[in-house]
Amino acid sequence: MDAQNWESRLIEYIDGKANETERAAIEHEVAHNEAVRMVYHQLTEVLQAMNETRALEPTGKLKASFEQTLQQEISNQTRSTKTVFFSPVVYRVAAGFILLMIGLTVGYKINQSATKERELQALREQVEENRRLMLAMMDNQLSASQRMMGVSVAYQMEKPDDEIVTVLVKAMNEDANSNVRLAALDALGKFSHEPRVRKELVGSLSTQKDPVVQIALIQLLVKMKEKDVVNQLEELTRDGGTLKAVKDEAHAGILKLS
Amino acid sequence: MPKPYKSTDLMSDEQIMEAVKNGNLQQASLLFDRFNKRIFNFLARMTNDREVAEDLTQNVFLRLLKYRHSYNPQMKFQAWIYQMARNAFADHYQKQKQLKPAVMEVEKLHEQPDLAEALEQEETEGRLIRALAQLPDDYRELLVLTRFQHLKYEEVAGFLDMTVANVKVKVHRAIGLLRKNYFELENA
Repeated sequence: MDAQNWESRLIEYIDGKANETERAAIEHEVAHNEAVRMVYHQLTEVLQAMNETRALEPTGKLKASFEQTLQQEISNQTRSTKTVFFSPVVYRVAAGFILLMIGLTVGYKINQSATKERELQALREQVEENRRLMLAMMDNQLSASQRMMGVSVAYQMEKPDDEIVTVLVKAMNEDANSNVRLAALDALGKFSHEPRVRKELVGSLSTQKDPVVQIALIQLLVKMKEKDVVNQLEELTRDGGTLKAVKDEAHAGILKLS
Repeated sequence: MPKPYKSTDLMSDEQIMEAVKNGNLQQASLLFDRFNKRIFNFLARMTNDREVAEDLTQNVFLRLLKYRHSYNPQMKFQAWIYQMARNAFADHYQKQKQLKPAVMEVEKLHEQPDLAEALEQEETEGRLIRALAQLPDDYRELLVLTRFQHLKYEEVAGFLDMTVANVKVKVHRAIGLLRKNYFELENA
């Protein structure tokens, strides 16, 4: 094998990707074969030069120009481009007059509430964005921390819709990560005045297998004064598979609710 | 309970692009901030011309806005934007070719690229850039992506529609050619 054929193996070696046997073979060849040694030194220099090349900085003009384009695109998006044509001129004049009258009458009222409406719209958009973000994060099966953040966003909501409650219940009952399950329970606790949430929490008591979540759930149900769960708590105390700490919490719960 | 947060920094590129696609255009600023330098550097290395690279980078982000509805959220955003950068470069290259069909390749070989001029005090870097400019476009592109931009072979294979093994073989060949060019320039 001549020096040129060694090139690919030498690149792997310099990149730190050669295994132990390969490393020994290459080191031996570099030590004993002058041609291979030269290729090795040249490759090292070139690869190092590529690694050390500085990144180039674009001028400020690029950012400014992009922002300008973006604002233009945003205004294009919001501008209504719908045009209505009337063929005879008299209809056009009449339509114009009617529109003017309507405009004058309605304009005053709209003007009064326009600012308020804009603020409301901005708020609505923010809430919708948070909602979308939360659902996307909760759906991230690869990252528990993303799902935690998703729960955190849900926690900040004033009133969750059905989809969010479903996602939180699923997280509380099925998430692979214990911290996410607990955080979901915590978020649901905040919304426990909602009848559906209350029902889901009670339902979860008989299916929940994670002792940490079981204890937190019992504490929450007791705090909610949910007397309907007394039977379930008694079942938990009788169940041989229930952890002692959970049984103790269930006993305490029965006493407080009875 | 985890602390409340309020930062779009935590959103993935794909989540932001989906928001842009759904009409939240202002979020495109975040993608610009995350990617403009990378795309500019890629195009600067491909064209050897800072000014052209800035124009093309601008063009890439314009395409991002224009074709936002065609973005597929299942696709990695990075692959999508690099694909647009490659298209912008290919369009530019075609135009150049039409303007000066015969002399283009010769000029590319002998011209002192703007970048090399700007870096002439840095002898090594200047020579490297000149050696890089002498490579065929596909080899240069692979080296810029994997060695200058440090993208993984898997990522590059994804948007160049090649196998990982093929990317690796071509990168190694490109390095071999670059080494020859680089040391020939030293002795020139």
